[in-house]
Amino acid sequence: MPEPRNPASSGNPGSAPPDPLAGVKLAFAWLFVGIPAVWGIWQVFVKSLALFK
Amino acid sequence: MSSTTAQAAVGLLNRERTVAGIGFSRWMVPPAALCVHLCIGQAYAFSVFNLPMTRLIGIAQSAPDDWKLTDLGWIFSIAIFVLGASAALLGRWVEEGGPRRAMFTAGLCWAGGFLLSAVGVYVHNIWLIYLGYGVLGGFGLGIGYISPVSTLIRWFPDRPGMATGMAIMGFGGGAFIASPLSVWLMRMFSTPTHIGVAETFIVLGLIYLCFMMVGAAIVRLPPPGWLPPGYEPPVEPQKLITTRNVFVYQALKTPQFWLIWLVLCLNVTAGIGVLGQASAMSQEMFPARITAAAAAGFVGLLSLANMAGRFLWSSLSDVIGRKSTYFVFFTLGAILYAVVPITGRIGSIALFVLGYAIILSMYGGGFATIPAYLRDLFGTMQVGAIHGRLLTAWSTAGILGPVLVNYLREYRIAQGVPKAEAYSTTMHVMAGLLVIGFIANLLVRPVDPKYYYKAEEKPHA
Repeated sequence: MPEPRNPASSGNPGSAPPDPLAGVKLAFAWLFVGIPAVWGIWQVFVKSLALFK
Repeated sequence: MSSTTAQAAVGLLNRERTVAGIGFSRWMVPPAALCVHLCIGQAYAFSVFNLPMTRLIGIAQSAPDDWKLTDLGWIFSIAIFVLGASAALLGRWVEEGGPRRAMFTAGLCWAGGFLLSAVGVYVHNIWLIYLGYGVLGGFGLGIGYISPVSTLIRWFPDRPGMATGMAIMGFGGGAFIASPLSVWLMRMFSTPTHIGVAETFIVLGLIYLCFMMVGAAIVRLPPPGWLPPGYEPPVEPQKLITTRNVFVYQALKTPQFWLIWLVLCLNVTAGIGVLGQASAMSQEMFPARITAAAAAGFVGLLSLANMAGRFLWSSLSDVIGRKSTYFVFFTLGAILYAVVPITGRIGSIALFVLGYAIILSMYGGGFATIPAYLRDLFGTMQVGAIHGRLLTAWSTAGILGPVLVNYLREYRIAQGVPKAEAYSTTMHVMAGLLVIGFIANLLVRPVDPKYYYKAEEKPHA
């Protein structure tokens, strides 16, 4: 049986008025994981270039 | 801390306190998951500590009392075994307690494992490292790996493959950060009379603790019944996508669970065997053309393909379906395993690299697409717990793959086959395994309605 949709009592994050800081929080969250991930990928990429030298 | 404060702190971890409020963006959940997976993905980079730990007493070279590589090899093996066991045993606990409690616990176990291992290095007692990184860290791995899966599926019912693929891609990429970071830290803490492994463990443990706690803090569950704006869930089941749910213990009784178990096990067995042999294989198939440094680059490139495949294939599975995605893995994989040895004979490094990069992308894709396949067959309700049980297939493949590749290669060389040729048989056996995987995938049908959850069974929501 399908579950009920968007009960008013529990709120609906997707259709709520936007939080003015939501974009900033989102950007920080992605940068927090993105910067080390990109750094690590770059390290491996540089190392892998040895294959083509 | 008073008992009231302690209770309030523990209360923050409750499932009910994790439900998203007004205005929360579901795109906050993938970075929360990545905070955990990028950390526990360090496991793939543990080998950077192996050689330094064989010289902790002798410093310049191994002393008689120094640990042997064979002693150290057990650390990773114990961790991976405990990963599978804890994911299987604690899957339901993770599901019922919610993602924050699970991520918090995983962070404590993972960081605690590093700190206990640092003590083990300091007092030179390997049993403390087995207990620290192996057992405690292994629990962190198992709990951490499954903790965000069902949450992501609930937030992204329209794109479950892409969502779980993002997190599981983080597990593949964690080693990229950990490996150069560990080497740099060891260099920083080492002196002519001391190797800085213990200090490196402490710093890594603290960094991972911070990252995983951030993940636990920002993760949220959607309110019950929440759906993305504009998304209309199918009312009627579509081929393999159910609209019902199956309780974890019922799922274990279905043939579908064991067919998917076989699908994952065979896909991983084939990939993991190649990954372990990649460096030696490239040098032996192209003697004098691929050097040790170039072979290290080849391994790095395969790791990138493995990571990229986790995101790309799982995202594609949202479009073409899970079963079709695994058909691609098994068909294309079997063809490539059969054909790639020819690239060695014709001397084409480019085709050799391309072939193995595609194979490894499908290895990663196999991991990342599995949670969405389980969601399709068994529903969202206990998908995390079911996924935890399924990870025993990974543990099995972790033993089967390397043993199979090593045994076959040694057997062929003992028969007098040249080293460069010895891999052909191995690759053909891998192709055969993928054909079995194809058949297992072919046999997957919708779950019999008798296994569907009935309200009177009373699991958690």
